[in-house]
Amino acid sequence: MQLEPETLLPLKGFDLGLSYNGPKIVDGLSIDIPAGEVTAIVGPNGCGKSTLLKALGRILTPDSGIVLLDGEDLQLRPTKAIAREVGLLPQNPQAPEAVTVSDLVRRGRYPHQRLFSQWSKNDEEAVEEAIVVTGLTESANRLVNELSGGQRQRVWIAMVLAQETPIMLLDEPTTHLDLAHQIEILELLKSLSELQGRTVVMVLHDLNLAARYAANLIAMRNGEIRVSGPPWDVVSAANVRNVFGLESLVIDDPVTGSPLCIPLPPAGSQNFE
Amino acid sequence: MRCDTVSFSAVVTPVIPTLGVVIAAVLFTAALLMFSERLPLRSITFRLGSISGLVQTKVMCLGAGTALITAVLIGVGLMVGDYPVPASRALGTALWDRSGEYDFVINHLRFPRLVVAVLSGMCLAASGFIFQSLINNPLVSPDIIGINSGAAVCAVAILAIGGNVSYVPWAAFAGAVLTAGLVYVLSWKRGVEATRIVLVGIGINALLGSVITFIIVRYPIEQVVAAARWQAGTLFGSSWDDVRILAIGLSVLLPLALVFTVRLRTLQLGDEVAVALGSSVEPDRLALLIVGSLLAALATSVIGPIGFVALIVPQAARMLVGTISGGALLFTSLFGGFFLLGADLVAQRLFAPVMLPAGIITAAMGGPYFLFLLARYNSAT
Repeated sequence: MQLEPETLLPLKGFDLGLSYNGPKIVDGLSIDIPAGEVTAIVGPNGCGKSTLLKALGRILTPDSGIVLLDGEDLQLRPTKAIAREVGLLPQNPQAPEAVTVSDLVRRGRYPHQRLFSQWSKNDEEAVEEAIVVTGLTESANRLVNELSGGQRQRVWIAMVLAQETPIMLLDEPTTHLDLAHQIEILELLKSLSELQGRTVVMVLHDLNLAARYAANLIAMRNGEIRVSGPPWDVVSAANVRNVFGLESLVIDDPVTGSPLCIPLPPAGSQNFE
Repeated sequence: MRCDTVSFSAVVTPVIPTLGVVIAAVLFTAALLMFSERLPLRSITFRLGSISGLVQTKVMCLGAGTALITAVLIGVGLMVGDYPVPASRALGTALWDRSGEYDFVINHLRFPRLVVAVLSGMCLAASGFIFQSLINNPLVSPDIIGINSGAAVCAVAILAIGGNVSYVPWAAFAGAVLTAGLVYVLSWKRGVEATRIVLVGIGINALLGSVITFIIVRYPIEQVVAAARWQAGTLFGSSWDDVRILAIGLSVLLPLALVFTVRLRTLQLGDEVAVALGSSVEPDRLALLIVGSLLAALATSVIGPIGFVALIVPQAARMLVGTISGGALLFTSLFGGFFLLGADLVAQRLFAPVMLPAGIITAAMGGPYFLFLLARYNSAT
């Protein structure tokens, strides 16, 4: 899939108040997602980054404020129409029993299907491409639950790819994966953005991987955005202290040139002296 | 049932043709299992203008095989009985020459009963398929969450107070639908969650069970006998009117179920993924529950609360075809028709001339089935 420049859809949130029918998790937050690039949302546990992602993907309805997709209120648009423009992969999705890889990826075509058009040429091509791009051709007929964690995650990403949305939101796409698989998934997402012009927004735990693969970082704490921008503007010793409450040393990554944050031992610790 | 006129030896001696049917059915199931393992996972794409779809060859073969064997079983069912009909005459009397000496036994007694067995088996299996996929639990079925009991309460009440027997199907249908509605409403808490449906359903089922027991001990024994018999689920006395009701109901509900199977595939991925894919989760879930409940209510209103069909058949079918799809729903449904037809034939002929209610056979297969599930689960882990 190659996106045309005019399909770069701006996704914005204004004055968002978010909660799960309880205490406010996010209050008065505004956000502007750069189109056609990779954006990573980082921050400590419970800072509201997943909550924000859910609101951007209309899985969570904001208590107040508004999410605008291409200038239109997300809540006012038909959910199936949104699903053709915004794809979302939640954290730890569970595949049902006895589902093959190609079967699961096919389900990503749901927003494009109509009552009597269940398997159009476009559906077939999108699914095929998603399987090829994610390197799952060999395992297309295998059961998802028989695959390793890394491969399983690739199947879910393939499902979102088959949805053919200009915007992809991913909640911790690399959790529970070993380092090699984390790199593999992030390389894949980055190349999707570079080659196909997709907007990729992901919540990431690892600040260094976020700085390495994202063009923009959004650092959150306590439900608000503390700092955002390109990696070198965001990852600094002062900002890491402000966002994570951690003393650190920020150096040049010798491989990629992106900022690399090296945590320092907490004050009073004897271990590294 | 004329138990008093039949000697003990007749009760315990299976009749030879029945054994044949039983053995054939078991062999068929085994063959189907082996056959399905060997079928390649290939799919056929069909496109005609804007109409398009994907069919798994495996599901198609299994469906066709089941339909064929069901047809054969109907043929067998026309012939065997206390009053045997030669093969050469049985089919002819049923299909084209609707007169002659066998007309009554074929066209009034056997044929409608066989068709009712197939159609209600289809309803029950389709209903079980929807419930098990929706709740993502192989141990869930409409009978477990109280839909059969709901039907039974109303039917038993009418039979016990000596009401008009012709109201029984309507009362049963209403009871089933009301119970399904009650379970849904009580499970609602900012949306309906699968586990809550199961827990609420089991509670309602227990409650309704005690109501049935109350009715049965409260009313005079002569009146409750009919109620107790209805509760076991029997196809005895099925008529073409029953066939008509089932056929009309199925022709509406099965296509609806097929349409909603696509949504079921999305719902099955979890609420968040389903929303992200553009599903309207709650309306879809409600629609599926309604269609599933109506299918169960339809069958129960006609043949009584026959248990285990909706529980066992979808599981067995799932072992053969794996995933959820429209084709899988159709195959499951056909398999249910075959299963109930087989169960009823066995129930009729196993201890002939004593006829058991089909519900006893399906229930008797439920126990070993659970052991089988357990064994499979143990060997898998």
